[in-house]
Amino acid sequence: MDTFADKDHKDILEIMHEDLQRALKKPRNQRRWGMAIDLKKCIGCHACTTGCMSENLTPPDIHYRPVKEEEIGEFPNVSMRFLPRPCMQCDAPTCTSVCPVTATYKRDDGIVVIDYKKCIGCRYCLVACPYGARSADVGHFYTGDMKGQTYEVENSEEYGKTFKRKSHWHSPIGNARKCHFCIHRIEKGELTRCTTTCLGHATYFGDLNDPQSLIVKLVSKLNVFRYKEELGTKPSVFYIV
Amino acid sequence: MQIFGVLLPEKQLLSDYFRQFMQGKGGIIVYLSLMGLLLGGFGIGCIFVLGHGHTTNTSSIVPWGLQISTYVYFALVSGGCIFTNFFGNMFFHEKYTPLASRVIFMGLITAIAGFASLASELGHVERMYMFLLSPNPTSPMFWMSVWYTADITILLVEYINVQRHSHSKAMLYASFIIPVITYCSLGSLFGAVGTMPYYYSSLLPVYFLFSGFLTGNALCAIIAAFYFRNSGGYRMVRPFFRMQKIAISTVFVLTFCRIIIGLANNLSGYEVFRETFLQNVVLGIGVALVVPFVILMYRRTLGGLILSSLLVLGTQFMSRLDLVVEGFRVPVFRVYDMPERINYMPSIFEMLVVVASVSIVVLVYVIGEKTGLFEIARKEIH
Repeated sequence: MDTFADKDHKDILEIMHEDLQRALKKPRNQRRWGMAIDLKKCIGCHACTTGCMSENLTPPDIHYRPVKEEEIGEFPNVSMRFLPRPCMQCDAPTCTSVCPVTATYKRDDGIVVIDYKKCIGCRYCLVACPYGARSADVGHFYTGDMKGQTYEVENSEEYGKTFKRKSHWHSPIGNARKCHFCIHRIEKGELTRCTTTCLGHATYFGDLNDPQSLIVKLVSKLNVFRYKEELGTKPSVFYIV
Repeated sequence: MQIFGVLLPEKQLLSDYFRQFMQGKGGIIVYLSLMGLLLGGFGIGCIFVLGHGHTTNTSSIVPWGLQISTYVYFALVSGGCIFTNFFGNMFFHEKYTPLASRVIFMGLITAIAGFASLASELGHVERMYMFLLSPNPTSPMFWMSVWYTADITILLVEYINVQRHSHSKAMLYASFIIPVITYCSLGSLFGAVGTMPYYYSSLLPVYFLFSGFLTGNALCAIIAAFYFRNSGGYRMVRPFFRMQKIAISTVFVLTFCRIIIGLANNLSGYEVFRETFLQNVVLGIGVALVVPFVILMYRRTLGGLILSSLLVLGTQFMSRLDLVVEGFRVPVFRVYDMPERINYMPSIFEMLVVVASVSIVVLVYVIGEKTGLFEIARKEIH
């Protein structure tokens, strides 16, 4: 049983769901969404990656949440480490300051978003992101053909809008793309897809401005780090070791 | 404003040339560059019709490729032409005057050819108006676009002034200062990216200025060598020998410093300097800088100047490609089947964009030369 399950034996997902509902009652500028990933619990199953791909209908080579696998040590003292990498939703993002047309910006709840209708596809943000968290949608389809199968051009609900990958003249093809903490889900009161699909309950999501939330309890401990924190980007994703 | 006889050749000369062209007497270079332009246009057309995913080899791993490096190359050539125009006017006025309109014209068309290459790389070029509607003053790319527009505008004004005999010192200074800011902005676009060790350097804006001067001056030297081949020869092109030697020396120092700083650094990602050390020293310094310098030292002829300049233009093109692409050699976040070191090979369509850019520069310039466009500035206005 998880250490953070309460006395009513609530599941972690239930606790986070309650945290989410509480946060949604506050004005948007008083929330700050964050994520914590427990690396001890991650088994490298890639359920978060595939869940994210089906949620956001991402094309080949675009992974909003890849999981890096690293082999540590030498035989016989060898182990595997897994590092899931969503967008860090930095508090001081480098990607937003380089975008020449303000197509990418940080919302007041801390999520860095892309306005697909503004993005000119210059890819400067891809170059500037120190985490490699951004991808260019150049218009590939899994089937390798020019138009894609029906399932590949279905409407994507990213950012709460409807985008259809019809042709390279239509966004999101030609744009930069990235993880957005499933805005379209959290605004409907649902947790991010990667949080709900994680087999080992290694991914935590919640409001970093809510002292009662599970995520705040977790990230205030000593065994927590932020990836490439020394760059001064102030990521909103925490890793628990 | 008068267009024919200032911006374009006089109508009569243009129609005479068109007649010659139709009779097959247009000159082999014009036919070749026209063919190049058609091929290149086909390539650009394919990129727009089929989309980047099916035509180019750039991706999320290598976001910028040959088209961006071609843009940087032509933009810097354009800047170099303008620096040559300034130094030519300031220090070698008499020898330089007959070349002024040619050099500024070359600066203009290389800037436009560079932009054509850049436009073919953007995912949504049709949204360029966003630069006006939604500008971001913190972005080096935004400032680069502002200064690039100012640069082309001032070049156009300077060109019209030269053609109309109303050239002024104030415009000369303005057409020097604005390109300096423009190409420093282009350098800072790369140099300010802290996450890319191969780019990240305060040297880069200065490096861009001097390597721009090197390539632009090389192109102007070729123009001068052809212009003076029957009148004056080596004596008249001596300023270009001097300017070219100065440019090579400064680029040598800056390239050397950049490599040394990269090699001395132990931060993550800087291993790219160690891995590209041989190609940087042998090709980037040896073939690209030392050999042209030696040619200039020991072959003081028009042929020597042309040979050295062609070598500079060719090798600097490769240097620009190297600068842009090698930045992505070490992946920022390596995952799944991503190789440890990224290799990029441009597609045929990307190469055709280069063909288009080169062809448009050659075609427009040679037609201008053949129709006496640049002689207008030398004629007296009555």
